[in-house]
Amino acid sequence: MGRPTKRTQLCRELARKRKKSDLSYNTTADDVLISDNCYFTEDAIGDKLNDEAEDAIREENNEFEEEGERGVIGPSGRFREIWPEIDPVYDSDTSTEDVQNTVGNISMEWYDDFPHIGYDIDGQKVMKPAIGDELDKFLDKLDDPDSWMSAKDDLMQRDVKLTDEELEIIRRIQMHEMPDKYYNPYEPTFEWFTSKPMVMPLTAAPEPKRRFVPSRWEAKKIMKIARAIREGRILPRKRQAESPRFYDLWTDTEQSRSDNPMHLPAPKIKLPEHDESYNPPEEYFLKDRFERCLDLYLAPRVRKNKLNIDPESLIPKLPHPRDLQPFPTTLTLSYNGHTGRVRTFSIDPTGLWLVSGSDDRTIRMWEVTTGRCVQAWDVEDIVYSIAWCPNKDIWVFAVTLSNKVAFISPRLMCSEEVSNFAVKYASAGFNMQKADKKPGVVEWLKPTENQRQYGYVVIISHLHDHIVKQVTWHRKGDYFATLAPDAGTQGIVIHQLTRHHSQQPFRKIKGLIQRVIFHPIKPIFFVATQRYVRVYNLIKQELSKTLLSGVKWISSIDIHPMGDNVIVGSYDKRLCWFDLDLSARPYRTLQYHKMATRCVAFHKRLPLFASCSDDGTIQIFHGTVYNDLLQNPLIVPVKILKGGHDIVNSLGVLYCEFHPSHPWILSSGADHKINLWTC
Amino acid sequence: MALVHPQIQVRFTTKQRQYIVTDSAILVPTNLRRYGLSEIINHLLDTEKPIPFDFMINGEFLRCSLDEYLKNAGLSTETTLTIEYVESILPPRELSAFQHDDWISSVKIDQSMIVTGSYDNKIRIWNTFGECERTFSGHDAPVKSIDLYCVQGEHTICVSASQDRTVRAWSTLEEGGGGLMYECRGHKNSVECVRFDAHGSQVASASMDSTINLWNTLPSNEDELVTTETSHTSRKKHEIRPIYVRKAEATLLGHIGPVQAVVYDDEYGSKRLYSGGWDYSVRMWDIESRVNVDTKNSDKVILCIAYSGKSKLVATGHSDKSIRLWDFRSQGK
Repeated sequence: MGRPTKRTQLCRELARKRKKSDLSYNTTADDVLISDNCYFTEDAIGDKLNDEAEDAIREENNEFEEEGERGVIGPSGRFREIWPEIDPVYDSDTSTEDVQNTVGNISMEWYDDFPHIGYDIDGQKVMKPAIGDELDKFLDKLDDPDSWMSAKDDLMQRDVKLTDEELEIIRRIQMHEMPDKYYNPYEPTFEWFTSKPMVMPLTAAPEPKRRFVPSRWEAKKIMKIARAIREGRILPRKRQAESPRFYDLWTDTEQSRSDNPMHLPAPKIKLPEHDESYNPPEEYFLKDRFERCLDLYLAPRVRKNKLNIDPESLIPKLPHPRDLQPFPTTLTLSYNGHTGRVRTFSIDPTGLWLVSGSDDRTIRMWEVTTGRCVQAWDVEDIVYSIAWCPNKDIWVFAVTLSNKVAFISPRLMCSEEVSNFAVKYASAGFNMQKADKKPGVVEWLKPTENQRQYGYVVIISHLHDHIVKQVTWHRKGDYFATLAPDAGTQGIVIHQLTRHHSQQPFRKIKGLIQRVIFHPIKPIFFVATQRYVRVYNLIKQELSKTLLSGVKWISSIDIHPMGDNVIVGSYDKRLCWFDLDLSARPYRTLQYHKMATRCVAFHKRLPLFASCSDDGTIQIFHGTVYNDLLQNPLIVPVKILKGGHDIVNSLGVLYCEFHPSHPWILSSGADHKINLWTC
Repeated sequence: MALVHPQIQVRFTTKQRQYIVTDSAILVPTNLRRYGLSEIINHLLDTEKPIPFDFMINGEFLRCSLDEYLKNAGLSTETTLTIEYVESILPPRELSAFQHDDWISSVKIDQSMIVTGSYDNKIRIWNTFGECERTFSGHDAPVKSIDLYCVQGEHTICVSASQDRTVRAWSTLEEGGGGLMYECRGHKNSVECVRFDAHGSQVASASMDSTINLWNTLPSNEDELVTTETSHTSRKKHEIRPIYVRKAEATLLGHIGPVQAVVYDDEYGSKRLYSGGWDYSVRMWDIESRVNVDTKNSDKVILCIAYSGKSKLVATGHSDKSIRLWDFRSQGK
């Protein structure tokens, strides 16, 4: 029998298909919704297939019985069929099996009135076999011992003898047993799910049935929705107007764009023009030219970093002025009384008295602590310079009057002995004079009786008629120098008070001489010309050094009491500090004043120096000079004293001098005042 | 609607017994100033004539309203302020002027006598009405300092220090004994300060020659009788009068600069002397042994000095416009 084989195959095919469709039910509801019709058809097919498959399996079992044991018992004790090898020849197809009657599965009653029962494969009638009457059948039954186990084949209208296996199945059915004799309903249980808990449980459970059975709940839901759609309660989504799938990239219009407010059209590239389309020669791409062009018309390629320097770090690390106390800070006293510019003054070595000379043609003597004018002298000329003898025991000061220099010993303020000693000291030279009859450069004169009343001791009259503008003492109080800048070489004269001896140290001197000063310790003489400071050795009588100040016009000079440092003030606002051991050029040039510097001064004891200027201020500096030659002087500006002097005719402070013992400074100005600044 | 000022509890205290008021705290509006508080006190005291009071909080006079004080001190109106009050003392009024020809260097008052030393070399005695009663002239240079001592209520001795390097003693007796008693010579430079001790038996003078001289003021037989010399400046012949010249009893050496001021210690029977000078030092001297007992160093020039027997402190005036207080009981500089 070929038919069962064919059907088995069909059945298997259908079973596979159903499994597949069953899986598809587990997809999303949307899919179900969309393909609901399809679902129903499949479902129907499924049901039909189910039946057929069951039939097929039944048939198959029959075939199995017929064709004997073609199978093995597996390791689990279940029977497993082994299908015969298919011989792949021409006739292997079961569809070409020999079928005697081709009418199919129809009710054979229809052929009752015909002599044939159907048609064979060639279209020839298959004739009804000869059927005897009931008696014949009975006789046949008697003749054939196996007739009881034959059944009638409707299709071929004949009896077919049942095999032992078929009989066995029938018998089993009759006995209400399992038709399949190999089916063991009492198989030992196979634990799909182990009773022992596993740490990492794995399951080999077969997929449950519900995976293959369409969900009734889902079907209900779907039906509900489908019904609603049908009744019009749910309106299906409106179909959107189909946009064109392609559009023209090259059109200018933007109409095909969706109306998106965030849409930014890409910038249109400029169409190639002349220079792009021009094929340049290789030199065109020379790098430097390219970069130069970039420099010219594009942004600079290198970002220029702004110099990020903390301005504080550029300022040299100097000690705080607070740590450099004491220095004068406040205006304490004003010495009022002069009615003209006070060009000069001098403090006596004890620091108690002050003499000042002024344009009002008076000399006044003041008490330093109180500001009291204790004495005044009327003179004929403007007083340009005045200087106390630096020797404490000699109570005398020198004052320039036109081409004369007078020595005055104010008798009132000292004891008689002191006064007499000063007079004796100063006039001792009258006796030893005239050893040589050569005409001197100056004349030493005795004061008149009237002058003597006022304390005049000696008067020196220069032979020239030029105004003596400076008188300066040597530290010991015996030698002093006078300077008349307009008199040229005759202008500088060095005098000795005890011997009444004068001499001109310079035969020829270059430049306009501004100031002269003695070295405090060594026999060295400083001459400040307009731009240079010449340093002369008085013993060797030679020029030992020239200090190049670098300023336009020197106004004043002072020397440190140790003798190694010189400060120079200039009319072009500058102050130069020279370290004589270091260089002929300034160690420091300070420019703090807004106008011409008039005077510079060192303190005799403390590390202070000051400069005063036409801008009405006095600058106080701290200037430490170290004994160690390797260490440079430390210069710190510590204080600007302002507000003490008014500027009159663009003249401010004309002269300043430190108090010999205290950190005080006195200053005199064009406003007729002398001020004392203390700390 | 009237602005309601917050109120604060205050407790008034005073050290003046006649003005004591209730000790309990009183609520006062905070916008009150001195005048308002004074009115409250007067009301509490029930005075017939209003007495002006001044008020102190934590030792500082109240010079603004309570409101501002609280704001500045960061206090709330919840606190109770303790306000001390004293009878207000009015600033002194100028009664009369004593016209001088020149600068006045020092002034001393003894009972009804006002004595001034002047830069015109004279010492003047004034009554309280501004009339010059007597003038002592004799110094050749400005008088820098004077001091007075009343001898048993009989007469007053005035000592004067001058830039002419002398210290002179003058008697204020009206009769013949008045005038210059003696002249103390010994200083080599201007004498800046002169002081009597507590008993009037000694005078100390400070000079620019960096010495302090001690002079005996008691009548002495050792005085040298010297006839007046012609002065340097005055060409006029003085009336020749004999002058008793006294020498220094002792000279205290130690200052290394001009001595500007001296003062005696009143407490210990004037056994101590304090001096200050240009060498920035304040020195304590023992009078009997004439030794510099203690030295304290400042960093500014000392211009004047004063001693308080009550607080036992020395106050010094300096060139930097400051006053410094020194306690010589403590050790160290």
